[in-house]
Amino acid sequence: MSQIDNPVHNIKSALDQMFDLVTMQLTKSKDALAGFDKDLAREVIQIEKRVNGQELQIDRVAENFIALYSPVAIDLRFVLAALKINNNLERIGDIAEGISKYINETNSPLDATLMEESNVMPMYEAALRMLKEVHEAYEKEDTSIARKIFKSDDYLDHINAEAITNLTHAANGDASKLSDALYIISIIRKLERIGDQLKNIAEEIIFYIEAKVLKHVKPK
Amino acid sequence: MSHKLTTQDVHVWYGSFHALKGVTLSVKPNTVTAFIGPSGCGKSTFLRLFNRMNDYIEGFHMGGEIIIDGRNIYGKRILVEELRKEVGMVFQKPNPFPKSIYDNVVYGLQIQGINDKHVLEEACETSLKQAALWNEVKDNLKKSALALSGGQQQRLCIARTLAVKPTMILMDEPASALDPISTAKIEELILELKSQYTIVIVTHNMQQAARISDRTAFFYLGELIEYDKTVNIFTNPKEEKTQSYITGRFG
Amino acid sequence: MSSRRNRIADRVFKLWAIGCTLIGIIMLGIFLVNIAIDGLGRIDWDFITSLPSRKAEKAGIYVALLGTVWILVLTAIIAIPVGVAAGIYLEEYGKKSRFASILEINITNLAGVPSIIYGILGLEVFVRTFGLGKSVIAGALTLSLLILPIIIVATREALKAVPKTLREASFALGATKWQTVSKQVLPAASGGIVTGVILAISRAIGETAPLILVGAIVYLNKPPQTPLDQYSVLPMQIFNWISRPEQEFSVNAAAAIIILLLVTFVMNGIAIYLRYRWQRKVKW
Repeated sequence: MSQIDNPVHNIKSALDQMFDLVTMQLTKSKDALAGFDKDLAREVIQIEKRVNGQELQIDRVAENFIALYSPVAIDLRFVLAALKINNNLERIGDIAEGISKYINETNSPLDATLMEESNVMPMYEAALRMLKEVHEAYEKEDTSIARKIFKSDDYLDHINAEAITNLTHAANGDASKLSDALYIISIIRKLERIGDQLKNIAEEIIFYIEAKVLKHVKPK
Repeated sequence: MSHKLTTQDVHVWYGSFHALKGVTLSVKPNTVTAFIGPSGCGKSTFLRLFNRMNDYIEGFHMGGEIIIDGRNIYGKRILVEELRKEVGMVFQKPNPFPKSIYDNVVYGLQIQGINDKHVLEEACETSLKQAALWNEVKDNLKKSALALSGGQQQRLCIARTLAVKPTMILMDEPASALDPISTAKIEELILELKSQYTIVIVTHNMQQAARISDRTAFFYLGELIEYDKTVNIFTNPKEEKTQSYITGRFG
Repeated sequence: MSSRRNRIADRVFKLWAIGCTLIGIIMLGIFLVNIAIDGLGRIDWDFITSLPSRKAEKAGIYVALLGTVWILVLTAIIAIPVGVAAGIYLEEYGKKSRFASILEINITNLAGVPSIIYGILGLEVFVRTFGLGKSVIAGALTLSLLILPIIIVATREALKAVPKTLREASFALGATKWQTVSKQVLPAASGGIVTGVILAISRAIGETAPLILVGAIVYLNKPPQTPLDQYSVLPMQIFNWISRPEQEFSVNAAAAIIILLLVTFVMNGIAIYLRYRWQRKVKW
C-alpha cells in the first residue's frame, strides 16, 4: 500500500459516515412525518449538529490531504468530488431537518387524504431509496448504479410537477385544509431538491471514477 | 513527553560567515522532523551539528547548546565516536563503501571491535530487513555494493546506519538523487522506522516534507523562521516568509 | 560557406596534431630499432650472467643487473613507507597546521631539484656523515630521497581522489580518523598509490647522475652481498661501455639498454595494469 492510500482511505470512510448520518436523518424524518412523531423529529434536528460537525471534519481532512500530499489524477478527482459530495450531503441533511421542523410546527397530523393524494410518502420513499443507491454507487465505485439516479429523479420531478393539481383536487375547496396543503407542497418541493442534490452526487461519483464531466450537459 | 533533542540559541560560523543565527527548537522522540528552506539557509549545517559532522570543516565554530538525551553533545566529556553511534546519518548521495553488501552493513560493528561472525551475520540480516532490502540482496551478500541501483544503495546506507543501533537518524536529502519510485520506497521506510527511531530529515522537496514529517522547520538565511506541526505549516503558516516559500512565491 | 572553412581548419588541425604525436613515436621507434639492430644479437644467457670483463665479447651485465635489483629493492623498502606515510599525514591529518604547510612547500620544491643535487646531498649525508661509504645502502638512501616527493605527491593525489562522502560515511558510523583512513580511504586509494610508487621506482632505475656521486662502481667483479657492499648499476655499466672506443663495447651497451628498457617497460606495464584493474573495480 502506498502512503497516499492512507489519507484517501480516511476521507473515504469519513464520507461514508456522512452518508450514514444523512441517511439516518432522512429515514427518521420520513418516519416522523408518517407517524406524526415529534420526538423523532426532534432527534433529526439533534443529528443535524453531528452532520455539521462531520462536514467540517471532512473539509479539514480534505484540505490537509491536498496540502500535504499534492494529489494528482484519480486522487485529485476523488478529493475534489469528496468535497462537493460532502457539501451536497450536508444540504440533504438540512432539508431533512427542515421537514422535521414543519412537523414540530404543526399541532395535529397532516390531513390523511392530502397526504395520500399528493403522493408525498411514495416520493419520500423514492428519495430515500435514491440516497441509498447513491451511497452504494459511492461505496462500490460503481458508475452504473450512479447512472440509475438520473432516471429515478424523473419520478420525483413527476410527483412535484403534479403536486399542485393533485392537492387542489384533493382539498376540493376545503379552506381548513389549506395550511396542511401548504406544508405538504413545501415538503414535496424540498424532496425535489433532495433529488437534485443526489443527482449532483451521482455526477461527482462518475466524474471521479470515469473523469467525465456530466454537469450542464443537456440530456438528449 | 520529554524531548529527544533540544537546541538552545545555536549559532554557527564558518570563518566570519554567520551560517546559523540563534536556532532554538526541540524534537520529540519517535517523530519525523523535516527541515526545509532554500539552498544555503543553514538547514544542512544545523542537521550536521547533531552528530558533529561539521567538526572537520575549516573555520567552523559554534555557540549555544545542543542537548541530545540530556547531554550537551558539544560538552568536554563527549566522545564524538560514541555520539555518532547514537546519532546515525544518511547522506544525500548514496555512499556505500566500495566493498561487498555484507561488509558495508557490518562495518560499523567491526570498528567497534565486534568480530563474532554469528553476531555480525545476524546484525546484517536484521538491518537489511529493517531497511526493506533483505529480499532483494539476501542471495548476493558478497556482491559489491556498487553494483546495486541508486535506490538500493541508499537503503543499504540506511541499513548500515541501523546496524550500529542508533536512537536517532539524521537524513540529509536522502532521496534527492533518486528516481520517484526509489524515493517513495525511502519515504515509506522512514515512516516505518519512525516507531523505533527519532528521525530528522533535510529536504528540498516540500511535498516530501509534507508527506512524511510530523513537524516542519522552515529556515531562511540562517534563521529558524517557523517551526510547527507539518499540517499547520502547509495549510496555515504563521509567517509571511514561510507562506512565500511553500507556495513558490519566493524573492 | 564558413562552416566548410571551419571543417577544413578542423581537418588541418587534426592532421597537425597527429603529426606532432607521430614525431615522438617515430623518434622512439628509430631509437628502438637502432638499438635492437645493434644489441639484440648480443643478448643471450651468458650476457646476463657474465661478470664484467676487459674483453667485450666476454663481458656481461651480471654485476650491474644485480646491483640494480639491490638498489631497487632497498629504495622501495625505504621510500614507500616513508613516502606513503608522509602523504597520508599531509592529506589526512596535517591540513590546517603551519608546520604542514611549510612541509608541503618544501616537498614541492624538492620535486623540482635536479638529481645531481641529490647526489651531492647523498654524498655529504650518507657517504660521509653517516660513514656508509660507497655502499648499496647509501645509493638506495639517495635514490629514496629522489623519489620521495613523487611518492608523496602520488599518494596525496590518490587520497584526494577518494570522495569525501566515503570518509563521511565512515565517520558517521562512529569510526575514528585512523579507522577511516586505514579501513576505507587507503584501500580505496591503493590503486593510485601503487601506480605512483611503481612509476617512481621505474624512474629510480634509470637514474645515473646521483649514483655516480655517491659511488656506484663501474668495474666490479662481484655483486653486492650485503647492503654495505659496493655495487654497480645498469645505467653505469651502459655509460661505461658507451664511453669506450671499441665498437664491440657499444654493442654491449646496446644490449644492456634493451635489458634496462625491458625492466622499465615491465614496471610501467604493471602500473598501468593495476590502475586499470582498480578503475574497473571502484567506481564512484
